[in-house]
Amino acid sequence: MLACIGLLAVWQVASLVLKNDSFPTAIEAIRAIPDILGDKESLINILASLRRMALGFCVAVLVSIPLGLLMGRSRSVAAFFNPLLMVIYPVPKAALMPIIMLWLGVGDVTKTLVIFLGVSLPVIYHSFEGAKAVEEKMLWSGAAMGLSPAQRLVRIVLPAALPEILTGCRTGLVLALITMITSEMIARQSGAGNILFNALDMGQYDTVFAMIIIVGAMGICFDAIFERVRARLVRWSEPQFDLPLSFS
Amino acid sequence: MTAVPARSSEWVRPVTSQEPASVIIEIDHVSQVFQTSARKDHVALSDISLSIEEGAFVSILGPSGCGKSTLLYIVGGFVSPTSGAARMKGQAITGPGPDRGPVFQEFALFPWKTVLGNVMYGPRQQGVRAAEAEAQSRALIEMVGLKGFENFYPKELSGGMKQRVALARTLAYHPEVLLMDEPFGALDAHTRTRLQNDLLNIWERDRKTVLFVTHSVDEAVFLSDKVVMMSKSPGRIREVIDIDLPRPRRRNELLLDPRYQKYVVDIERMFDESDEAGPAS
Repeated sequence: MLACIGLLAVWQVASLVLKNDSFPTAIEAIRAIPDILGDKESLINILASLRRMALGFCVAVLVSIPLGLLMGRSRSVAAFFNPLLMVIYPVPKAALMPIIMLWLGVGDVTKTLVIFLGVSLPVIYHSFEGAKAVEEKMLWSGAAMGLSPAQRLVRIVLPAALPEILTGCRTGLVLALITMITSEMIARQSGAGNILFNALDMGQYDTVFAMIIIVGAMGICFDAIFERVRARLVRWSEPQFDLPLSFS
Repeated sequence: MTAVPARSSEWVRPVTSQEPASVIIEIDHVSQVFQTSARKDHVALSDISLSIEEGAFVSILGPSGCGKSTLLYIVGGFVSPTSGAARMKGQAITGPGPDRGPVFQEFALFPWKTVLGNVMYGPRQQGVRAAEAEAQSRALIEMVGLKGFENFYPKELSGGMKQRVALARTLAYHPEVLLMDEPFGALDAHTRTRLQNDLLNIWERDRKTVLFVTHSVDEAVFLSDKVVMMSKSPGRIREVIDIDLPRPRRRNELLLDPRYQKYVVDIERMFDESDEAGPAS
């Protein structure tokens, strides 16, 4: 918190010294925030962004976790998907946008799909690694109790790999925000990224900086909320239960 | 498929079927061959035959690498033998089942479950009602000496406590045979002794069949009715020794008992001899 205030102070001083049109003071930028959030049009845009982000993130998580777990426990499933994922992993998902736009247009579907792709890979990867690391003897213990292979996957591999899976989801959440903004910069039609770039085109630099603060704040909030949920879900795996958590 | 040295049969006692009613587990000419990375076959178990009587405490004793754990995993149904078969009450073992409950050296507890949750897991899986499963589990937790720790997570427990939970968790679903894979191997000497005593107390109450893998001669003699000595490369049975010591056994009495001492010394000498003979094959 102190660091944030410090950053704003440095910004304020720097912009006063530089006196550049394209570098508004921190106070000007912060003053522009209520204007954006008070504007119905902008708000609809931001909410549309968030809806796409939520949808892309949720679908990605729901598909990626089972896939990653299956890959982690089945050599043949891993052998099938791994090369594919290794190829897609380092490709910036935004670079795929032109093709997707060509096929699916510039609307919601394209942007949601890009978010989906961005989130999927870290979640698959961490679920895969988490499932691979599950102790064999733990599965044997479950098998001796009469759990079927499917039950073992859901009731042993999933909870045992949960800490690792949630690490992937946390990375995925940040990537969802990044790909959300990027997709809206490329397919300029609606959304938070669109407001940002329209403001830039029109030279409304205080709005540009205000949007950056809004998007940044959203990212910090989502991450903080997610971290709270995560810490609660995997309390059993934390080294010390009463360890002070960041953001709390 | 397997290159079984002819000599191996000298060491193997034939499977006797004099008392077929009381034999619960039969290991019938089991061999296990693993492929190592260099495409060479590693014979982990070579032509093992063994009968285990119901209610007996049988230890499988041998140096590391003699395949004693593998033999236990075959009985558990976790590993399929390359050749031969294991049978439980005459039925071929094809996979794990709640009639054979494992306890592993690594504990293998479910870390996301509390002590109570771990112990209740088996009964709940078997369809026991929650209230009933909980009552039984609480009684078992008390029996293994962990009353008051019901709501702790495995992470918060010491090694000895974890192994107590693992034992209670397995006992909770009433397996007919306990398969214990060096259960006290990861514990310090003091904890190990205490758990041996407690295991013996618990076992002497209901005399479940126990197959107990260990590399400790003292432990095997102290606990068992029968000690199966194994030698390595390839793993085979070297000798089966009946431990004729009275029960209930008390450590302080037993350590002073010359018969106990003789068993320990004899077994240790036999292992020494086989070491001097050099590796077979």
